[in-house]
Amino acid sequence: MNAAMVKRLIVKDWYLQRVVIIGSLVAGALSLAVIGLGGKPGFILGLILLVTVLIGVGAQLAVATMVFERKEQTLSFVMSLPISYKEYTASKILGNLIIFLVVWLTLLCGSLGAIAISPDKPFGLVPFVAIMATEILVSTCLIYTVALTTEHQGWTIGAIITGNLALNGIGYYVAHIASIARGMEGHSVQWSPAASTLLAAEFVLIVLMLGFTFLFQSRKKDFI
Amino acid sequence: MNSISVQFEGVGKHYSDFTLDNISFELPTGSILGFIGPNGAGKSTTIRILMGLIHQDQGAVRVLGHSMPEEQAAAKLDIGFVSEDMRLYGAATVGWHMEFIRSIYPRWDQPYAASLLHRFDIKPQQKIRGLSHGQRVKAALLLALARRPRLLVLDEPTTGLDPVARQEVLGELMAVLADEERTILFSSHNTLDVEQISDQIMFIDRGRIIDSDDKESFLDRWRRLRLVLSPDAVLPRFSGIVGVGGSGLLPVLTTNCFEPRMVSECRNMGAIVQAVDTMTLEEIFVANVQSRREGNLV
Repeated sequence: MNAAMVKRLIVKDWYLQRVVIIGSLVAGALSLAVIGLGGKPGFILGLILLVTVLIGVGAQLAVATMVFERKEQTLSFVMSLPISYKEYTASKILGNLIIFLVVWLTLLCGSLGAIAISPDKPFGLVPFVAIMATEILVSTCLIYTVALTTEHQGWTIGAIITGNLALNGIGYYVAHIASIARGMEGHSVQWSPAASTLLAAEFVLIVLMLGFTFLFQSRKKDFI
Repeated sequence: MNSISVQFEGVGKHYSDFTLDNISFELPTGSILGFIGPNGAGKSTTIRILMGLIHQDQGAVRVLGHSMPEEQAAAKLDIGFVSEDMRLYGAATVGWHMEFIRSIYPRWDQPYAASLLHRFDIKPQQKIRGLSHGQRVKAALLLALARRPRLLVLDEPTTGLDPVARQEVLGELMAVLADEERTILFSSHNTLDVEQISDQIMFIDRGRIIDSDDKESFLDRWRRLRLVLSPDAVLPRFSGIVGVGGSGLLPVLTTNCFEPRMVSECRNMGAIVQAVDTMTLEEIFVANVQSRREGNLV
């Protein structure tokens, strides 16, 4: 793997998507500011804004850097460079994940910070927040997998919709698991076996999806 | 130095509606190969296999000493590639593209790039989406040429260009031919373009290489014999005739291995040889494709 070449490709994508990246960081900061205003309405509104930014930046970057590369016929320009498809795939996943993780960590830290500074210190929410934040990461990795392996706008939009529906469904499901629901009301963090299993399953899913993407790409025979 | 820049051995690629069949050829270092074929003949598929962009189902491909597609990253460090369907990033400027390519290719020649900018009348601060089609092709060509590649692969670069832009692109290509170590593969369905710059010619049709030779040999061995037959004379038949046109008493024989003896043989058979015409590369190409399709040539 030519790390220097992967880095150049990542920087290229960041440069070309700089407006989206800067915009999402600004929007993320604004969402945190809303959370920081204090009070339940501010917390909920800020959180909704932050989740929206997160889903938006993940989907937009995947479509712009992966799907449009083929649609706008810049793929043959990129693939004429001294790279293999392994390096191309690595640059797309890493470049997108790094940007996404910046906003994602902001969401996570912001949410945990809001819990910490809240007057009633609802630390019992931490497992739920961790599971849901990781679910957003799972959805984004699903979008990357579909966008890279199909390079097709329709399939990628399907993955975005699926991820969004899954987020709502899983949120509802997790909030109604008795052992997790009980802990959410408390003032201390309680990692029930169900919460730990769900979180572990999400990380395994992420590893499997990214592993599949690399495997699929390495076995691809036609790139243009 | 490897004296063969590109080597294809029995290369095949199968699709549901098209098959590239048993492609074998060698491209010596320093030569300029004109790769001619009708639309859909397999030119782009062959070139994409050469670039490692698609993988052959069978056969071996070596480019600049590297096995393809496995060693494509190393091979592409010495290749400049421009294709008709290649696009640069519309939102970025020409200057950004130049800087990007310069950061990758150690042999990037900045003074040469600047001179090409001037010659092509392109400004570094211009965004790609603001350029005309001709300017975009020239920008892509600039990026390929200024990296000083050992192998230049051009897949129909002049398609869709107006006559002035086409001549500018061809003129620049002819200028780089002075470098005897640079190998060029130039594909086109426009035989006039190929004729101007190539020293080797290869014809492809329906996924198969149908003929390959140096340009001068092609032009020397293909002729049209315009005959006048008397009513009782028989149409001369001898080997090397790949097509018979014209009308009954005024036949036109097309040969792909002309020799002066053919003229005397026609006369011996009672025909009057009205003219022996040379053929343009386009006429040779069309006659070659037609005669193969009709089964007169195998």
